[in-house]
Amino acid sequence: MLTSTKLLVRVVLAGLLLIVVMAGCLLVGSQEISLHKVLQGPSIEGIPNSDYQILVAVRLPRIILAAIVGAALACSGVVFQAILRNPLADPYILGVSSGAGLGSIIAVMLGWTWTFWGLSALMVASFLGAMGTVWLVWSIGKVTGKVHVTGLLLAGVVVNALFSAVIMFLSSIAEANKFQTTMLWLMGSFVELDKMSPLIASGAIVLLGILFLMTLGNQLNILSFGRQDARSLGVPIERTCFLVFACAALITSVAVSFSGLVGFVGLVVPHAVRLVAGPDHRQLIPLSAIIGAAFLVIADAVARVIVAPAMLPVGVITAMTGGPFFLILLIRYTKTVHWGNA
Amino acid sequence: MSFIEMNNVTFGYEGLPVLKSLSLSVEKNSFWAVVGPNGSGKSTFLNLLCGQLKPDEGKVHVDGRAASSYSSQQLARILSMVRQEFVPVFGFSVRQTVMMARFYRTSSLFENAEDIEAVDAALAATDTMNFADRPLGHLSGGERQRVFIARSLAQETPVLLLDEPTSHLDLKHQIRIFDLLKQMQHEQGKTILLVTHDLNMAVQYCDRVLLLGAEGAFFQGLPEQVLESGQIQSIFGVQGHQGQLQERKFFIPLGRFSMDRPEKST
Repeated sequence: MLTSTKLLVRVVLAGLLLIVVMAGCLLVGSQEISLHKVLQGPSIEGIPNSDYQILVAVRLPRIILAAIVGAALACSGVVFQAILRNPLADPYILGVSSGAGLGSIIAVMLGWTWTFWGLSALMVASFLGAMGTVWLVWSIGKVTGKVHVTGLLLAGVVVNALFSAVIMFLSSIAEANKFQTTMLWLMGSFVELDKMSPLIASGAIVLLGILFLMTLGNQLNILSFGRQDARSLGVPIERTCFLVFACAALITSVAVSFSGLVGFVGLVVPHAVRLVAGPDHRQLIPLSAIIGAAFLVIADAVARVIVAPAMLPVGVITAMTGGPFFLILLIRYTKTVHWGNA
Repeated sequence: MSFIEMNNVTFGYEGLPVLKSLSLSVEKNSFWAVVGPNGSGKSTFLNLLCGQLKPDEGKVHVDGRAASSYSSQQLARILSMVRQEFVPVFGFSVRQTVMMARFYRTSSLFENAEDIEAVDAALAATDTMNFADRPLGHLSGGERQRVFIARSLAQETPVLLLDEPTSHLDLKHQIRIFDLLKQMQHEQGKTILLVTHDLNMAVQYCDRVLLLGAEGAFFQGLPEQVLESGQIQSIFGVQGHQGQLQERKFFIPLGRFSMDRPEKST
């Protein structure tokens, strides 16, 4: 059985792995840097130390951002799969992606260039689009008075389809440069931040969200057995589903506003971790978050160097590696886990 | 007042009545069988008791309060439920599944020694200990059914609701589960309501029987009164015979054909 000590040991080990990955990826980039030179500080004999500047001002914030986004997406994937009882659910299943996409394309089309607290108009618009869409999906799913899984999924499908059509329409009438900006965003690309404060704030939101979802681990375990069973076992279904949904939507929207639509992290990482550590959400949530962070940090490092000095959208790397990996997992998973009729 | 009370309960799906003006009192420490043809409202009856469904008319009271007025956590302290069918989605092990019964008791994220003891006892009682660490999805229907009975036992509630809990079990485990339930009724004072199609088991083990029929018809009372051939004929449309063998009651359904076998055409 899972004990607090076992959980702590596993989280610490996974955390150490993440630190090693982040440290390794700090040294990877289109520009070679010397660790020895970095350790000499921001300036050497009065001359600015370029290696130090690249590592601290460029790569470190980007790697931290990749870790935050990876953790948020993997964690959201885990909890959406649990409350929807659907192993194919991912953070975007309930409309976050199309909402964020629509928000971003509106910002680009209208030529908004304002910033808010260091965040570009595109980021703010995609965050608001994502949250607004999630609220819309929840409201449609609740139209019968109670939130039902099928109702939510169908509402997500309908809203996703509708908003995707609007995105296609707006893209088709957009100017070429605006179209390209939007496409890069939709493929998943990290923003470059001038300030650290948005990074710290988003990191805090995502971390608190993951910790909160972790406290609902027992409820999520039971909810994955279905609503009727969950009620018999004492889970307040409506309240738990709402809290999980709202929290997962918030951290996904934060992630999307910084990175666009990075695919597969929220689908593949939960399954990979579940295969190794089992389905218990008390540990699946923190471990998936940490492994998701490490996965996206590595994917970003690959995206930065594979066609250097140009940079690929990180979503291309996650999709190209995640797709085949998911297929392998699927084959192994079906041998070990009975999915029933799901 | 009885522990569970139903007063003039009517319930239907999309205008089609399933239960009509059903009234019944379940005393503490009694063992009820709920029997009837498919679609006669047996599972609906259990769902009304555990607050999953609300009656269209009438009232359902559990321990002096309307069943629907309990929060899920409060109700989980009184009633546990074994459902007919379940399809696992993720690979939870048997032990993890049974441990979920202990959720309502604790605010902690982790189980304590008392929880582990209760789960071990439930696994032993249902003969599921030897596959406690296997994923639920790898078990047969009967083994899985025993796991959900174990989970219900680990919940340690005064009332057990069981919806066809032995439908997939072999003879040995059917007897074992009925013996166990009877023992829990006698030794721990549990109140048990069990849906079954096995009239023979119902007449042997239960103190009371609720027989549900089409369009809300129902009979209730002692097994020998309710499961008599006239009522069985009127509800199921088949004949049956109730008898006694060495102080044990039994019920045999009688088909249209005799025991005579056709002669072999060699």
